[in-house]
Amino acid sequence: VNVEEYISSGIIETYVMGLASESEKAEFEQLCSQHPELAAARRDFEVTLENLAFEQAITPPAGIKGKVMEAIGNPDSLAVTSSAPPKIIAMEKAKSASGISIGLRLSTAAAVVLLIGMSWLYHQIEGQNKELADTNARLIAKLNTSDSILDKIAEEHKIVSDPNVTVVNMVGTRVAPKSSANIYWDSTSSSVFLVVKNMPKLPSDQQYQLWALIDNKPKDLGVFDATDDKVILKMKNTQKAQAFAITIERKGGSPTPTLPKLQSLGKAL
Amino acid sequence: MPSTYTEQELVFALKERSNQAFGFLYDNYAGALYSIIKQIITDDNELAGDVLQEVFINIWRKIETYDQTKGRLFTWMLNIARNASIDTLRSKSYQNSQKNQELPDNVYKAIPNQTTQMNIDHIGLKKVLESLKTEHRVLVELAYFKGFTHDEIAGIMGIPLGTVKTRIRNALLQLREYLK
Repeated sequence: VNVEEYISSGIIETYVMGLASESEKAEFEQLCSQHPELAAARRDFEVTLENLAFEQAITPPAGIKGKVMEAIGNPDSLAVTSSAPPKIIAMEKAKSASGISIGLRLSTAAAVVLLIGMSWLYHQIEGQNKELADTNARLIAKLNTSDSILDKIAEEHKIVSDPNVTVVNMVGTRVAPKSSANIYWDSTSSSVFLVVKNMPKLPSDQQYQLWALIDNKPKDLGVFDATDDKVILKMKNTQKAQAFAITIERKGGSPTPTLPKLQSLGKAL
Repeated sequence: MPSTYTEQELVFALKERSNQAFGFLYDNYAGALYSIIKQIITDDNELAGDVLQEVFINIWRKIETYDQTKGRLFTWMLNIARNASIDTLRSKSYQNSQKNQELPDNVYKAIPNQTTQMNIDHIGLKKVLESLKTEHRVLVELAYFKGFTHDEIAGIMGIPLGTVKTRIRNALLQLREYLK
């Protein structure tokens, strides 16, 4: 192994910063024990990183030392150690720290800022990606809704333009003057369709119910909700009807109409 | 009992389970290790404090496994701090239900604040940033500060594994040049 070449491959930095794979680690440790110059170069970089970290040291929140000392099982030692002067005198690191040039201090600080800058850039890009993905998802959802509305409109148009279909315009009664809906009654197939135009919203335990009046007797044609607007609803079939009526009933409908709650009425002919 | 230690003496005393040596270790190294943790957990001081506590307890538990022939004590502790921070960050972001390791929104606010504290104007941030290519910056960020494996990075970035490895190594070499 050419040690110089090996060093210039970046293995030292990779190893020291904890980014080497298991096989790279094993190889590096093996070579370090054989080549003192490799171990020395590793040491140099370790000291550089260490100095950088000490330059940037941040005082930790108070109270953590107490918890740590307690956790290792001897809270008494806390008083002794915390009264000791927080000086690094005999440590090797202190020796090298005294020899740091202004240039090194500035460039180490710059490197930390650089790393933070990288982090910031990365999050910027990631944020933008997520925004685009969200917008995309919203557009797809919107398109799907629009498509289904368009289908309903096409269906409605087909029914409305059929010459066999009678249109019954339902108008509001005194209790509900603004209520309105259209009934499309296909006299050949007996099919009844309903389009909600403007029906006030009901409490969740109530629904509107459509009735056909045949010889003054009501026939149930099914229930619907105010929120079913923009949609053409297929109701129950009826062959005969002199008029249609809409009442408010409990959810699921009633066998007979609650007439005081008559909302809307329309004559078939 | 000594109130200061050389690194040799400190390691020896720690392996002998000296509480006093451990107190000394905390007093002298907690600030440097906390700065490493804060570079990874940027947005939550309380969480960073919890991680620092966990790191020191791990150092105490694992000191037997520290091998001086493989590197300096600080390098060993730095990697414990880095790994603990990344583990925390990952589990937290999983709770935040983002599959892609996304950080909470306030991270975007926290980082500019930090750079302000460091007086970026005086040390030519732009000049240094421009010297590293974007693709290098991002890879170092993912590998070192986010703890992604080279395989994962290759997947995320859509580039071959060999390229990831080469670029990270080149970026680290360049970083070292700045540190000289």
